[in-house]
Amino acid sequence: MKIFSIALNTFRENLRDKLLYNLLIFALLMIGSSLILMQLTLGEFHRLILDIGLGSINFFGVLIAIFVGIGLVSKEIEKKTIYTIVSKPVARYQFLLGKYLGLSLTLVINTAIMAAGLLAVLYFQDVPVHAVLFKALGMIVLEFMVITAVALLFSTFSSATLSAIFTLAIYVIGHLTTDLKAFGQKMEGAGRSVLEGMYYILPNLDRFNLKGNVTHQLDVPAGDLLMIAAYGLAYTAFLLMLASVIFQRRDFR
Amino acid sequence: MWFSSTPSRDYTIQMSAIVRAGLLTTGLISAVVLIIQFQQHLDDRIDQGHTQIEQLAQLPRAEHLKPALLGYDNLGADILWLRLLQVVGQKRITAEEYEWIYHAMDVITTLDPQYDYIYYVGGVVLTNLANRVDLSNRLLEKGFKENPTIWNIPFLLGYNYYFIVGDAAKAAEYIAASARLPGGPAYLPGLATRMYAEANNPETALQLLEALWRQTQDTETREVLENRAKEIMIERDIRLLESAVRQYQTDHGSLPRALQDLLSSRHLTQLPQEPFGGRYELDSKTGNISSSTHPNRLRVFRLDKQGRV
Repeated sequence: MKIFSIALNTFRENLRDKLLYNLLIFALLMIGSSLILMQLTLGEFHRLILDIGLGSINFFGVLIAIFVGIGLVSKEIEKKTIYTIVSKPVARYQFLLGKYLGLSLTLVINTAIMAAGLLAVLYFQDVPVHAVLFKALGMIVLEFMVITAVALLFSTFSSATLSAIFTLAIYVIGHLTTDLKAFGQKMEGAGRSVLEGMYYILPNLDRFNLKGNVTHQLDVPAGDLLMIAAYGLAYTAFLLMLASVIFQRRDFR
Repeated sequence: MWFSSTPSRDYTIQMSAIVRAGLLTTGLISAVVLIIQFQQHLDDRIDQGHTQIEQLAQLPRAEHLKPALLGYDNLGADILWLRLLQVVGQKRITAEEYEWIYHAMDVITTLDPQYDYIYYVGGVVLTNLANRVDLSNRLLEKGFKENPTIWNIPFLLGYNYYFIVGDAAKAAEYIAASARLPGGPAYLPGLATRMYAEANNPETALQLLEALWRQTQDTETREVLENRAKEIMIERDIRLLESAVRQYQTDHGSLPRALQDLLSSRHLTQLPQEPFGGRYELDSKTGNISSSTHPNRLRVFRLDKQGRV
């Protein structure tokens, strides 16, 4: 209950920050680009709408997850509003979890509105919609959840700027871990174990990327989808627990 | 005294505010004008089309580009394709620049191996406009490996092997593979059968050309295909005329002196029209026929090991 009221409060705060203005940019980008590119391209016009649409949903969402996520805790500490919360009978992990769920709620609603915009453009351009589009959107939300958790983890022990840099770095590395594994397999001994260890510890964000499947209408088996979802949730849980442990020991002075 | 000074001071303040606003506006406008001027000047100095094509040549290999795209591979492929289109439509392209275009298409299809339209366009353009069947085949074979269910990729491979490489057997295999795939036109299986049985027949070639012509929207490519079709019509006509001449020879014991003789002897009901507007000429000593516009006969039908049909 306490968690949910903190979550709702965080959500309201996000709305007050005019965070959803990015939807306007998204809408302009979608409509503008589909009208302009229609005259420029040859061949498969549908894929442009899908690629730009899913690409910008993903991109804007990641930006929000990172740059709002890093402020979730540090802003409260900076404004000293955290004292009013920790002095109440609220466990610190509850505070963290509430903050996390609040931003996740913002991201889900954000994605839903953007997806509605994308679907509208697809409808007016007579593009057939397949189930895999919704699966891909779900996976994109899952990626946001992991990234938000990463941002939250960093913001429990470092400044906002540093957290932003760290989280961006994790986002980039998260899309390159497949290479990390490949490099590791070419090495011997200690180097190999180090790289393989890093591969398993770092999030493999490429797993959540089904954008290519949407473009070519390649369906993903339900079993795979379930495994990816389980992986994403487990990783998020791991990050949140780590964040709670660090936050528990934090001194606000 | 006070009532005379106040209005003038107000006036001065007002004036200076107007002057300041005026200066600011002039400054802003001149800055914008300068920016546009410099931009235009730079554009003129550095030829736009030239740099755009050169940028394609500097495109990194897809293996290096892919990690930098952080999962936005398809979008990257789309943007590259858009840029490539702007370059291709711009001016006449040199032989070297076609290699860069091939490179760009190779990068796009590595970023998105299922982008079958690129293989198709690349296959048509590199063969018919660039005369680079080697690059065309390389791109198409990559496409066929990645997309074994898209019928028009093996179709184009068949076309390349038949007309350019001159390997009718391999061409027939590709056309047959294409005919087995869903989505292709209804005449493909018949065409494949014909290519196995009578690869050397100009009618088969014309059928294949017509099939490709119908698939192509680009006017420049269609022109190339029409010319090729006309060349094959010449070959067809020459074969018709030569067989009539041979018939004449067996019937009369001598060669005809002119093509008109074939009409009067009723070996032909009418003389075929030369498709390029020229004439067919009879060598009355050897009985060979040649076209006035295309004195050399097509290579591809000569290469076939089975001989004439």
